[in-house]
Amino acid sequence: MIKNNINIVIVEILKIFIFFILFYSNISYSQNFQSSNYRPFSSSLNKVKKPVDEINFSGFYRFLGFVRTQKEVFPNNSGKTTAIISGDYFREPMLLLKIKGKAHRKISFGTDLMINSLYKGPSATQSNLTLDLGLNINATVNSANGIFKLSSGGVSWYRQSKLTVWGNRSFNRMSIYERRPQTPLNIYPNQRYNKYFENGLVNQGTRYGSRAFQGLFIKGDKLPYNFNFKGVIGKSAFNRSNLEFSDNFTTCFHLKNQIKPNFDLAYNFLSSDANLDTVININRKYSIHTFELVKKWDKLKIHLESGIGNFSSPENNLGIGEAIIFELESKQISNLNLDFQFYRITPEFVNVTGNFLNTTVLEIFPNVNGVGTTVRPPFKSPMVGLGHPVNNRQGLSLNADADFGKLKINGGIGYFFEIDTSYSAISYRHNVNGQTLSRIYLFAQNWGPYNFLNSTYRGVFEEVSISDTNESGLANFKKYFNTIEFQAKYSDIIFKRKFYIFYLLRFNSCQKDPSYLPQFNTKALVSQLSHDLDFSLKLNNKTVFVATYGIERVIGNELTDVGDVNNANTLNLFLEMLGISKQENSNLERNQRNSLIGVGIDYKISNNAMIFFRHNRYRYFDPNFTYNHLKGFENMLEIKITF
Amino acid sequence: MCRSKNIVLFIALLLLIQNNFYSQNNSKVWFDGLGRSFFSRDAIVDKLKEDTISSRNVSSGYNLLDLNTHVNPSKDIEIFAQLRIKNQFGSFFGSGTNINVRQLRASGIINNKINFNVGDIFLKQNHFTLYNNNEDLNFYKYSILNPYLDIIHYENFYIDNRWRLQGIQTDFSLEFDRFIRTFEVDMFITRPRGSVQLNNSSFSPDLILGGGSLSSKISNNLFFELNYINLYEIPSSGTTNISVRNPVYYSALTYQYKRNNLNIMHKIKSGFSRRNWLLSDIGIDMYDSIYNFTEGMFFEFENKILNKDSTFSTIIGFRYVDPNFRSSGAQTRRLNFNNFENTVYPFYTNNYINREVSLFDITTDENIYNQELHGSLMEFNPMYSNVNPYGLATPNRRGIYAELNWKSGEVFETNLTTSIFEEVIGQGTTNKRNFLSFLINTKINIDQIFNLKKEISFCAFYRNENTSRFGDSISSVNLSSEILNSVLNIELGNKIYLQMGINQFKSTGNEFLTNRNSYGIIQSFSAVSYDKMDFLNNVGIYYKLKDNIYANIQYNWWGSIFNNSLKTDFNYNRILFIFSVTL
Repeated sequence: MIKNNINIVIVEILKIFIFFILFYSNISYSQNFQSSNYRPFSSSLNKVKKPVDEINFSGFYRFLGFVRTQKEVFPNNSGKTTAIISGDYFREPMLLLKIKGKAHRKISFGTDLMINSLYKGPSATQSNLTLDLGLNINATVNSANGIFKLSSGGVSWYRQSKLTVWGNRSFNRMSIYERRPQTPLNIYPNQRYNKYFENGLVNQGTRYGSRAFQGLFIKGDKLPYNFNFKGVIGKSAFNRSNLEFSDNFTTCFHLKNQIKPNFDLAYNFLSSDANLDTVININRKYSIHTFELVKKWDKLKIHLESGIGNFSSPENNLGIGEAIIFELESKQISNLNLDFQFYRITPEFVNVTGNFLNTTVLEIFPNVNGVGTTVRPPFKSPMVGLGHPVNNRQGLSLNADADFGKLKINGGIGYFFEIDTSYSAISYRHNVNGQTLSRIYLFAQNWGPYNFLNSTYRGVFEEVSISDTNESGLANFKKYFNTIEFQAKYSDIIFKRKFYIFYLLRFNSCQKDPSYLPQFNTKALVSQLSHDLDFSLKLNNKTVFVATYGIERVIGNELTDVGDVNNANTLNLFLEMLGISKQENSNLERNQRNSLIGVGIDYKISNNAMIFFRHNRYRYFDPNFTYNHLKGFENMLEIKITF
Repeated sequence: MCRSKNIVLFIALLLLIQNNFYSQNNSKVWFDGLGRSFFSRDAIVDKLKEDTISSRNVSSGYNLLDLNTHVNPSKDIEIFAQLRIKNQFGSFFGSGTNINVRQLRASGIINNKINFNVGDIFLKQNHFTLYNNNEDLNFYKYSILNPYLDIIHYENFYIDNRWRLQGIQTDFSLEFDRFIRTFEVDMFITRPRGSVQLNNSSFSPDLILGGGSLSSKISNNLFFELNYINLYEIPSSGTTNISVRNPVYYSALTYQYKRNNLNIMHKIKSGFSRRNWLLSDIGIDMYDSIYNFTEGMFFEFENKILNKDSTFSTIIGFRYVDPNFRSSGAQTRRLNFNNFENTVYPFYTNNYINREVSLFDITTDENIYNQELHGSLMEFNPMYSNVNPYGLATPNRRGIYAELNWKSGEVFETNLTTSIFEEVIGQGTTNKRNFLSFLINTKINIDQIFNLKKEISFCAFYRNENTSRFGDSISSVNLSSEILNSVLNIELGNKIYLQMGINQFKSTGNEFLTNRNSYGIIQSFSAVSYDKMDFLNNVGIYYKLKDNIYANIQYNWWGSIFNNSLKTDFNYNRILFIFSVTL
């Protein structure tokens, strides 16, 4: 009863109040006597509109429908032979939204939101929103003494010199049948193949050639006396402490002076330090100092970088080692471009952010939660392609390319050998089916029925053990490496339609003894020979038909892992097919025969939107290792829309 | 669940982006916000041999972007969303990333007359009803430590002494040409805490804060205001049958006038509060009963004189606050010592003991700060603030206070504040505590004295608080606390400053901590004695690229020295980097 009365009173008061407002509010605007300083009371904040000068959005949506059906599986397979996935398990954005804004003419910020959905029905809640790389804040300061840029945050892509900070960048010999999430869209689908035919360069995104860093980035351009500099104080994904909060920093610095036009001298510095123990100062650290010279003439260019580095940790106190990379490039000499390269990188010269592989210190690769996705690349005496230097190795290579109009060829030959003996093992990347195998078990180490396989980002490498070892477990000999790469590109018109053929041969071998050329026989510890043939046919402006065929052969000799069969299998499939294969032409060790055949369509839906379909049939097979047999097919439907 | 929210938010953001393509022409969507890079590395000073089990150093950092999206569907309406994107320093490729919503609000003006805000709102009334008092040791005005303060305030939504609340607020004003000049109305209702599940079968009730203000400019010289606020729980929204109620009433009359070159103001404030707990009977009788009812009043008379060019002002006043005056909105403290564990080196020595909160932690640790209104008085540390630990509404105080501000051209400016208070009633004894405080804050622009082109300034802050209570050897109190802060700023280049600072806090004496039950009733007293010195010394470079855009790198020496053999000193170093951009 009392409550009802109270409610009635409140309602009446409100009525009077509203009447009061409506009545007097009209009056209130009849005169304006208030001083400009007077602000009526408000318990809330006054709003001040202060917009950012400029903000932009860009990015892409990419759906990858992936179906894999396995006909032959490894023996430890769970029984599940078909995988239906949205995406291909790698951490890639389905929707990438890049935000770039300017707070001021010289102050900007940027970040990239990454949105994924598994599309596994309403009950699956694994949808998430995260950052692709990170966020950055940038400031530019113009002064009479130069232009200075300060950037903070991360991840940012940074590079300064091949021996200090440089991404894995080599000669652009590869199959372009496979697509990556970062692969950009062209105006028409055929342009991707045309660009690769014309100049061999296909945009791989900003990561290509750079390394991921976090921290404070500084850069100074147009300084007095033609100096410029740049540097980072921060962290890379490598050489990490076991605990996130422990000290681990990678700092690098580049100071360059342009002595004359076309003549640059530079000093590069890199230091990486990681605390290994929280209560006492035990560090794993390495530092590098190099000098760099670049001199250009009309048709010649010399690039020389040389320096010293040292590495120390509780397990390895390597001391000081030297490194040198010398490159001589010539352009358009009798329709021929030549590139000569010599390098020598000692085992003590350790770095994992440079343009060379570290084979000396395993502990430097990260084993920290959150960073674990960056797994180690091939470590034990890797057989690598041309343009991939390795420490504890020296050698030279010669590359050439020639243009004959419809036919363009390029190739190279290289000879390298170890400076000191190393692990009694060899590793090699699979050139064929690398992506397919890596999708079966992501970022795993020592997997497969024989624990040979190691997955990296969109690739797989194998480690081969060597039985000829010394007391310390190292190989009893220095290893010699030979490489040949050859690529032919041909383009013409068939049935009034443009087509392209890309053929790529990669031939690597590793021996106990020096050899002029790579070996494909049991004289070599491991031989790897692969052929890739890509074909694309422009059906119309919006449609391109693509096809690929790849085959890879890897064989090992008697010093490497022995298989589990009793009868040796032939090394020469062609002779075996003819029925004239001989016993001495066979082995019991690695005898891998990998193949991939695929077809696909690239189709332009509309401006900035394309659809890509790929059907691949793969086989990973070794008759000497019974369980090393995978076979199946993959279907991939990719829809990509950029904005 | 959180992720789902993020997805929903993101879809909303996408929609905004769609609009943004059009917004280039009609400005329907616009952005501002804040970007910050923060990195700190703390290390044990090697002299601290007593600690061989703690990490020798600890580093952490982050980058964040608070993107404020303002959507203006019409001229008078704005939808505001603050999206925070944060990634930890050292985490690569998406790990260590957080994305969440910090604020969401709609606001506007109805019919060009009535303002409204819905969602995250920042509210303030006056010092006795709703006011977010400054933290203890608030000495930052010219300090090298200002970047820390910026972060603490920003992260805890401390804007202009307002509490961040979630609810609805509206206000409007009427103008008249006779009898009175204006009539202003402000109302809000918010929910500081929603119902939460305590266990399988019980839920806490919703906590509501509602209030309103009526104010009027009666003439150009006379102002009148009434404020009301009530913090209460709704029993039916939870399963616990005890709910707090804390209404506070406030009125003030201000008279101001000019005489010669002086603006003079007199202000009388008075009001009262009630607080009780409602015990809802959930049995057959359904009778509710009231427990722990308290009622208290306050009174303040303040006089202010300001000269015309604002180079001189003085305030003198008297304040009385009843021992039972309780106002949750005005007495809730920023610093929350209750169950707090320091973020940096929470434990030390080989005995792994808790490290006491120090000047460094209060100055730098954003996690020690509180954002929630409390229905009863929070704990405080008398060492750091004993005169007015709950702001001007600190209960059981009466006394006088005075303030003097003086500015001599561009060369010199100073602020002097002093107060003499005593308790209204004694605590645990008939004797009352006496409080004396003195504060001086001075800045000298040396460059102006010597006509230098580059800025050089020296700032000093000193505060002394004394608490005493006469009595026998058991009940007597004698506590003295001093803080000294001095900063030297030298401009090296264009807006690049070298900064050096010394900050020391010293406290000696004894006090009694009051132990209260959950209804705020004093249960017992704990005798404590203090004899320690905290220090936080700094040197650094501050580069001010633009207003609200700066880069700061500084080196800190910090720690505490105890004149007590039972306590172990601690001593650490820190290197700090902050790059802050207000967009």
